[in-house]
Amino acid sequence: MNRIMIAAVAALIAAPAAAQDFSEGSEAKNWNLAHGESKARFEAKVTDAVCALTGDCPEDCGAGLRQMVLQRVADGKTLLVFKNIQPIFSGGSYDLAAYCGQTVVVDGLIVGDPEVTKGAEIMQVQTVTVAGETAKTNQFTKAWEARTAEPTGEKGPWFRRDPLIQERLDTTGYFGLGKEEDAKYAEENF
Amino acid sequence: MNLKLTSALAAGAFVLLGGVAQAAAEKVTVTGEVIDTWCYYSGVMGWYDTVVGSAHHTCAMWCAAGGIPVGILADDGTVYMVMKWEGDPNIADGTAMLDVQSHRVTAEGMLHKVDDINYLMVSEVTSNEGITNLSHEDFGIVPGFAFPDPNKQ
Repeated sequence: MNRIMIAAVAALIAAPAAAQDFSEGSEAKNWNLAHGESKARFEAKVTDAVCALTGDCPEDCGAGLRQMVLQRVADGKTLLVFKNIQPIFSGGSYDLAAYCGQTVVVDGLIVGDPEVTKGAEIMQVQTVTVAGETAKTNQFTKAWEARTAEPTGEKGPWFRRDPLIQERLDTTGYFGLGKEEDAKYAEENF
Repeated sequence: MNLKLTSALAAGAFVLLGGVAQAAAEKVTVTGEVIDTWCYYSGVMGWYDTVVGSAHHTCAMWCAAGGIPVGILADDGTVYMVMKWEGDPNIADGTAMLDVQSHRVTAEGMLHKVDDINYLMVSEVTSNEGITNLSHEDFGIVPGFAFPDPNKQ
């Protein structure tokens, strides 16, 4: 019994050592990222990171306020969601929380230089498919509008109109070092 | 086979077979810079040393407020992904960590290492040295459009 168990467990441990290719069937768009990217489409259970790690599991996965993870069905690997499809400094927590507890198919990019990520799979999720319905991960802007009662200005992308960010830029400046450093930079560069 | 080894292998098999990856945690103290992990890992805005410190401060605030995971880059190059900040798991709207972007901090908390990602549940920030990496002196602002042209405002 012990020998069989050792052999089975050894096989399971050895399997993920060879990097698996999850690009088959992927329709993800390349972003031409400097540190590398590869397409990945796979089935995964969606949950939030604190739930997966500690067992503290709200039914809504934090409704966008907790960071989200994907538990890949094929190899049991847990991946942290870093990014959604929008090129506007937005993560994927709102998009993925909508599928809390469900098993879905995600499609996107695994990002980064393996020597720097040290084996970690950095995931940008571009689409989520469940029950044959595919949705782009583009819900951040709507969520931001819902949470931001008084944006600073009516035009421009969210990050130029976020009052919390603007408040900090007004006090500590673009470098976080004070307005004097901003003035010095502006004088030298514009 | 001894009991400890059997238990360890069984636990490994459980995770590999798709169980919830509730890894054993250890209490740690981490010192490093609070960073924007997407720009750091992807290279979307520039090379590694350009997307940390004061040069990248504004972009780091944007990414934190946008819900991109925030990390602590330790002096040895290890990145710790922050999943709780001072005990609070509701951090993905970025408000909890806007004021520490690019700061050098020392944080205590529980570390869960799963599939080569260091998940850090910060319980307490024991020191905050502010922004000590003055990368803007070498790289200006990164990305360039983060600092609006004052002549066009």
